Amino acid sequence: MSAPALEFTAEEERRILRHGPWPPASRPDPSNRVSGKPAAIAFGRALFFDPRLSFSGAVSCATCHPPDRAWTDGLPRSRGPPSLFNLRFNRWFGWDGAQDTLWAQNLRPLLDGREMGVGPSGAARLVRSDRQLSCSYRRAFGVAPGADDAWIFVDLGKALAAFLETQVTGRTPFDDFRDALARNDAAGQARYPAAAVRGLRLFLGRGNCAFCHFGPTFTNGEFADAGVPHFIKPGRVDPGRHGGIRKLRRSPYTLLGRFNDDAQRSTAAKTRYVRLRQSNFGEFRVPGLRNVALTAPYMHAGSLETLADVARHYSTIDEERLHAGGERILRRLDLSAREQVDLVAFLKTLTEKTPLHEYVEKTGNALCR
Amino acid sequence: MARWCFGGPALAAALALVLATGQAVACARPQGWTGGARIVGELWTAWWRSKPAAIPVGAHFSIRFHLCGPPVGRVGVRGWMPDHRHGMNYRPAVTLNGLSGTAEGLMFHMPGRWQLILDVRGAAGREKLTAETVLE
Repeated sequence: MSAPALEFTAEEERRILRHGPWPPASRPDPSNRVSGKPAAIAFGRALFFDPRLSFSGAVSCATCHPPDRAWTDGLPRSRGPPSLFNLRFNRWFGWDGAQDTLWAQNLRPLLDGREMGVGPSGAARLVRSDRQLSCSYRRAFGVAPGADDAWIFVDLGKALAAFLETQVTGRTPFDDFRDALARNDAAGQARYPAAAVRGLRLFLGRGNCAFCHFGPTFTNGEFADAGVPHFIKPGRVDPGRHGGIRKLRRSPYTLLGRFNDDAQRSTAAKTRYVRLRQSNFGEFRVPGLRNVALTAPYMHAGSLETLADVARHYSTIDEERLHAGGERILRRLDLSAREQVDLVAFLKTLTEKTPLHEYVEKTGNALCR
Repeated sequence: MARWCFGGPALAAALALVLATGQAVACARPQGWTGGARIVGELWTAWWRSKPAAIPVGAHFSIRFHLCGPPVGRVGVRGWMPDHRHGMNYRPAVTLNGLSGTAEGLMFHMPGRWQLILDVRGAAGREKLTAETVLE
């Protein structure tokens, strides 16, 4: 069923329009000297699927981020592997934001012995000794792999970042509706399902969703306590953003460190000025919602299986559980069953129509010969 | 787009006092400035402007300010969402040179009503100068 002629207040219209246009303009990452370079994208793509970057030789990035499953394996963990869509628009990386660049985020599993754990010396040794990788490195960075393990290691993160930056989602039914509204095209607006319109109104209004899920990516790029349990195991709590900021300040791989290719540090304000507060405890990164219908399970630990579960969660949220430090954003919504269905109908229109396998094909594979 | 107003109830009280006593601090727009806004307090009056001129949601911005009034020892700059009861996720760095200064690293990270607060301290006392805006 399509919507009848839609009447929005001027304020509603402004709120809808700010979630586009899509895709937004983007530019290469100045902290990564190979951002946007085709040879680096091809190198990063090869690295993403290469299990030799793990100490066991059996795990690649794609093991937990399979592209044909929207870049997430769908398995609940204390922190689930997030989908890799639209990373180039992130401000912070990881559920706790412990990394301030995509290239630094790519190094995290390579350093963690519970994940890939190849480490700087293992990664550098592999790149130097393997003819294919060495050739790809030279093409991407313009020089042969040098003697400094740390720099080779960081460069692998930068090549992976160049590849992942290309994974930008396509247009969605919401974008068609939003643009029809922008050009005052009533017929275009009427193609948007009535349930989605009702859900959109909830999202922007009583649901308070758009305070955090703001803008074209449907995230403000910051952190929130969404009222989900963050116990890793009995008696042990995931500190979330609080731990993330502390890790960031200890890390050598940040925009304030020697591996930033941008001498001006033009994107480093967030790292320089970020503030550690007690209320950061239990906060996790607000994810973007594009392609959300493909990226179950939901929340940082994958504790909610479906979008209907998410709508129910916010409808019945336990305010006592929030560590909000006096904040007043999340409130029990008490949505009716019909309203929850409408909210889910809206969320589904944030998912593109492009079949997933096209992502795999778009990535291509260019060997260095 | 942002709509600004200045001072809130505290300013209304201050203005009433000023009107009654005639103690408003005269404060001309700083030389060379175009645009900017003024916050009138009891002890100090501030001119300030942001860069970029229109404060964006979810992006860093800086401000320049100039104060009129008695000597200033310290100025803190912060943002606050009164409806949500939270501030910014970033702590700006303030540089003060006499009665003028800059604050770098501010970010209003969600839409809604925000207050920009200049917390001014000097031998004459302490005063919070507040400007309010709704970011959409």
